[in-house]
Amino acid sequence: METIALVGNPNSGKTTLFNALTGANQKTGNYAGVTVSRVSGVLRTPHGNKFELLDLPGCYSLSPNSPDERITRDVLLGDQEGADLPEAVVCVVDASNLERHLYLVFQVIDLGLPVVVALNKVDLAEKQGIRMNVELLSEELGLPVVPCQANKGKGVIDIKHAIRHPFPHVASRSWSADKAVEKAIDDLAAALKSDGVKTPDAHAIHLLADSVYRTETQPSMDRGVQKQAMDVADSVIREGVAPEESISRARTKRVQEICKVATRRQDTGGLTRSDRIDGVLLHPILGWMIFAALMLAVFWTIFRVSEYPMGWVDSGVGALSDWVSAMMSEGDVRDLMVDGIIAGVGSVVIFLPQILMLLFFIGLMETTGYMSRAAFLMDNIMSKVGLSGKAFLPLLSSYACAIPGIMATRTMDSAKQRLLTIMIAPWMSCTARLPVYALLIGMLLAGQGAMVQALVLAGLYLLGTVTAFIAAWLLAPKVKGTEETAHFIMEMPAYTVPDFKYIIRHLLERAWFFLYKAGTVIMGICIILWALQTYPKPKEGTPAAEDASLALEQSYMGRIGHGIEPVVKPLGYDWRTGTALVAAFAAREVFNSSLAISYSVDEEEYEEDEDFLAQLRAQMAAATWPDGKPVYTPLTTLSLLVFFVYALQCLPTTAVVKRETGSWKWALGQLGAMSAFAWLAAFAVFQIGSLFI
Amino acid sequence: MIADIAGDLKIDNATTLSQASAGCQLRIRQLEGKACKRLREIGFCEEMEISKISDGRNMICSVCGTRMALSRKLADQVVVEMV
Repeated sequence: METIALVGNPNSGKTTLFNALTGANQKTGNYAGVTVSRVSGVLRTPHGNKFELLDLPGCYSLSPNSPDERITRDVLLGDQEGADLPEAVVCVVDASNLERHLYLVFQVIDLGLPVVVALNKVDLAEKQGIRMNVELLSEELGLPVVPCQANKGKGVIDIKHAIRHPFPHVASRSWSADKAVEKAIDDLAAALKSDGVKTPDAHAIHLLADSVYRTETQPSMDRGVQKQAMDVADSVIREGVAPEESISRARTKRVQEICKVATRRQDTGGLTRSDRIDGVLLHPILGWMIFAALMLAVFWTIFRVSEYPMGWVDSGVGALSDWVSAMMSEGDVRDLMVDGIIAGVGSVVIFLPQILMLLFFIGLMETTGYMSRAAFLMDNIMSKVGLSGKAFLPLLSSYACAIPGIMATRTMDSAKQRLLTIMIAPWMSCTARLPVYALLIGMLLAGQGAMVQALVLAGLYLLGTVTAFIAAWLLAPKVKGTEETAHFIMEMPAYTVPDFKYIIRHLLERAWFFLYKAGTVIMGICIILWALQTYPKPKEGTPAAEDASLALEQSYMGRIGHGIEPVVKPLGYDWRTGTALVAAFAAREVFNSSLAISYSVDEEEYEEDEDFLAQLRAQMAAATWPDGKPVYTPLTTLSLLVFFVYALQCLPTTAVVKRETGSWKWALGQLGAMSAFAWLAAFAVFQIGSLFI
Repeated sequence: MIADIAGDLKIDNATTLSQASAGCQLRIRQLEGKACKRLREIGFCEEMEISKISDGRNMICSVCGTRMALSRKLADQVVVEMV
């Protein structure tokens, strides 16, 4: 199947058009060696042809500023390992922003591939008073230009008509640079051709147009070719012309010529509604107050509103557990089902509503356009610790999960900023911690209102965030890299009505992922934990056979736990908590499962109508040290909360950090430092607190 | 002679984007500095008419209808003239 690439600026509506062109026939994979996901779909034209449509990461130009954009360039130049050069390109441009988006179109034309321009958002352009002559635009560019409105599905069929066999003619280059540069392009192209480079002209132009591309080591670029390009470029520079400067000027000049001919913009000097909203939301004082109030409202809702769905899940788990107990005869298998799997997995699944609610709010911020405003506000604070406002989005995503957060750093343009953001991202409390926080806060503040609990929860998030910023500030001088590219520049899209379709699809994806994890990894760990605490069984007639908690102490888990106890005792934890902590290194949620399993053996009488979670909390509250003092004092609980804020108990994160930074040094250093810091912080909380209580 | 004076006057009219006051309609005269290629790619190119909407550590400009936020350091590299 022939491949057609889809490229476009960020916010040009590229992904919307991709969905409109391919419908449900999409497939997500990975590019070889990198973690940028490769999204493609099947496109069927009205002529019965079938093409693979490849959605390339959005970019402003083919000179990449981030790993994501590098993929776009390498695929289009045919240099990406494991991806063939596309047969044709569909270039999406925003009609209301033609002056800015045509630059990329020129770069794409220079690749020497057949190009179709999808002129998206024509309705928006009309609303802004922009008149454009599509025919003239098409003539000037020398390629088909198809007006469309991807969000309404208008013009999609015309695009499909334009991509029929044979593909449109390859447009010729319509800009011309200084004479010396033109000659250099020809010389280099001839040299590359004799070297057997597949698309010599495209490579020649791009090598001369981008000094980074020809000087820095590129995995996709042959050193010999770069050497030739450097020699040619040097000879031009000796004549007093910078080739990249000359080419970029020539392109922008041509863009402006075309825009002048093909479009007419009526005066749009007035402030739009978005600007007036920005006047309030980005106000130096008022903006912050609104931001803080919004964040607090989010946390309050997470606690207060999610109580209802959590109650349903809770009673569901309880009912399932009762039903299974009643259906099965007594024995190890029933214990495994009820105490191991249902109690363990249930103690995690219960928190799904809270996780979804947090993701819902993040989605709301993303799709209304408030996210970039928040980044704008945060840049003020973050720049003080050496971080760019651009780090805000990856860090906010890390509140959902550090892994997508770390992957989101790929859109950042500075390598230094990127590394800094990756290093601190795990201290943004992720949703895997939420079940643990909720369980412990519920114990710590039993009987307090949702507002107090929300405040404490917000405090935990704040604690992690503030420490992360301080860490970034301390770490910044140690990270190598140039400061030049770290300046803040960001598009502020106009405010829109939230895209609930997108949010819901995203929520369903995350919910499925969460349940899948609960049903596989977490269930597996639960079974192992259950086995460790059940076996070896005490012999008949020994005192342990009569006393369940004595049997537990003699089990494998009991032995491991007692081995760990010296390490965790200074933090105020008993051996059961210690085992749960160690188990939580596989996945944080397992902390709950582990406690649920190890306390399920104490068959003390609890009121039947109490729900599952309340029962677990009651069991924990009743737990005592051998001398009868309670284990879970408020101080211990607080120390545990602090431990969870800081500990990097997530192996997938470490793996992703390794992959993204390309070094074990940073990944393992982060794991070690964060674990050590967590222990010290919890130690400090417990020991200093003990002096006062 | 007269052409020189006219040239001087034209130069006098120019300021950097960070010095221009908010609410002004401006035309980009030239870009100077390390980030100029990046600025051009993102839409701040010579001859483009822009308007500065708000000032501050990061300022907001309207570039053909799109709102762009950029830092003072970047705005220092954009030389503009009043329209």
